[in-house]
Amino acid sequence: MSKKKREGRWRRLRAVPGKIIIYFVLICIGFVYLEPILEMIAKAMMSAQDIVDPSVTWIPKTWSFDNLRIAAQVLKLEVTLRNSILFSGGLALAQTIVSAMTAYALSRFDFKGKRFWFVMIILTFIMPVPVLMVPRLMMLVTAQTATGIQLVGTVIPQAAMAILGQGVYSAVLILIFYTSFNMIPRVLDEAAEIDGASAWRVFWSIVVRISGSTILVVFLFSFVWNWNETYITSTLLRGNLPLLPAKLNLFNSEFESAASAVGGAFRLNEAYKMSATLISISPLVLLYVFVQRKFIQGIENTGITGE
Amino acid sequence: MVKKRRRARKGSYMTRKQNRLGYFFMSPWILGFLVFTLFPFLMTIYLSFCSVSSTIKGYEISFIGLDNYYTAFFRNTEFVPALLSFLSMVVPYTFIIIVVSFILAYLLNKIKTGRTIMRIIYFLPIIILSGPVMSQILDSADEAITLSQGVSEVYKSIWIFRILYSYSPTFTLFLEEIFDQLSMILWFTGIPIVLFISTLQRINHSLYEAAYIDGANEWQVLWKVTVPMAKPTALVASIFTIVQLGSYDTSDIYGLIKAATNNTATGLGYAATYAWLYGIMVLLVIGAAFLIFRERKPKAVVL
Repeated sequence: MSKKKREGRWRRLRAVPGKIIIYFVLICIGFVYLEPILEMIAKAMMSAQDIVDPSVTWIPKTWSFDNLRIAAQVLKLEVTLRNSILFSGGLALAQTIVSAMTAYALSRFDFKGKRFWFVMIILTFIMPVPVLMVPRLMMLVTAQTATGIQLVGTVIPQAAMAILGQGVYSAVLILIFYTSFNMIPRVLDEAAEIDGASAWRVFWSIVVRISGSTILVVFLFSFVWNWNETYITSTLLRGNLPLLPAKLNLFNSEFESAASAVGGAFRLNEAYKMSATLISISPLVLLYVFVQRKFIQGIENTGITGE
Repeated sequence: MVKKRRRARKGSYMTRKQNRLGYFFMSPWILGFLVFTLFPFLMTIYLSFCSVSSTIKGYEISFIGLDNYYTAFFRNTEFVPALLSFLSMVVPYTFIIIVVSFILAYLLNKIKTGRTIMRIIYFLPIIILSGPVMSQILDSADEAITLSQGVSEVYKSIWIFRILYSYSPTFTLFLEEIFDQLSMILWFTGIPIVLFISTLQRINHSLYEAAYIDGANEWQVLWKVTVPMAKPTALVASIFTIVQLGSYDTSDIYGLIKAATNNTATGLGYAATYAWLYGIMVLLVIGAAFLIFRERKPKAVVL
């Protein structure tokens, strides 16, 4: 008995150096991960002198929050932040609903051509977006001249694409739902069906109610991906709705024009650029801080591996 | 007899019901697929052989054969280099991302204390990875380098780089570029790490136990159990990485496609050719990844 105990302790002790190495490696690489963000925060706080001063790398000599204020002004933060949240949130909601429905069909019903549609879903994921953009644009312009309704430059095309399941990385969202729906025991559906529930009701009142954490994960992924997507947005929306990431893309030129309007005192420097970047990622980081536990758990439980 | 017939009829009723309900729930997706994906895809292929001019009445499409392709490859001096630079980015990046993310997932799976904080750090890039943010950060990194002394000067002060440089300058320059953008490359590992972690957690524990009883050490178990079990995930992860790198819209090739889309003089047919060639490229890379990581079936013994 005691021999066994001693052996166990010896084993644990022998594992200690290995553990130390693992933590060392993880912390080092973790620093490499965070380095751009830390540098961004440091630079955002620097004054114009500190930026060019080679003796200042991390901690500014004079703290300055003016950079953030001015960058926020150039980004038109109040407008763009609200727009971005509503835009990404709306698209994410549409994508979540439609991917849940599609995944439900694939997981519960044995319809003809199911395998074919499954393969098509995977293919939509692989297909590079630029390949599809030119005809999409032409289609929209043609529809626009035919009906007289303004389409390009509004949110309508992207909303339609999201509702019809062709939004950003829709296939991944479907696969997340698919694996999680497959884990719900079918007995529940059958019991409800015997009690006279329709398929829609089983979907809505049972499957959707159970998979709360999956819905949260899918919604967040979709929100983040829609937020960070700039290619489709810039092609179809054309900057008519000012959004935060799109404004960040134009930050350098917008800053110049704003500065020349005020007078020659301002010059674009790293501090302003980094402040703008920091501002534009902070909503997502805040969101992440609030929901990280559920988010990480959800990712791990649902598993987005598409088998 | 009667029973049998009734069962058959019931079966057909059930299949009809299954079909009806399946297509009912799939219908929005199928409609969207036909309108926004399948039709544009076929149209792009067709348009790449056409010249498109926009008039007041609408688009005028006329077939011109391979002219667009000729222009893309031989008349335009920017397209081929942009395509090649994309290829030379995506292949090494994907390789590094997959290897690094497997190692990180393996290590993250080993630890118990501090697990949450580590995962918060390592999953953070999933949230903030986007074209504009990346280009701003890369911009600032470039500026910092020009402020100091230039890339190769920094690395020349490290002795191992000096040794390597005397053997093969091109390889060293390549390595320097990789190290220079290491943070950026690492930021793409978010999703692959998630994929690998969820696979590693699902590996059956009895496999490990069996291996340990047979006298395998940790290193052998890693290579004989963990790596083979994680191989299918490597395929998914690499496809995901290639798609993500392919939609990283600050690369040169995206700039060309965007410029061609907005350029009314050359027309949209030209843009379609660009996009289509780019698409073929991405699909080829994904196909290569598929060939590398696919499971070779005809092995009778499954551990």
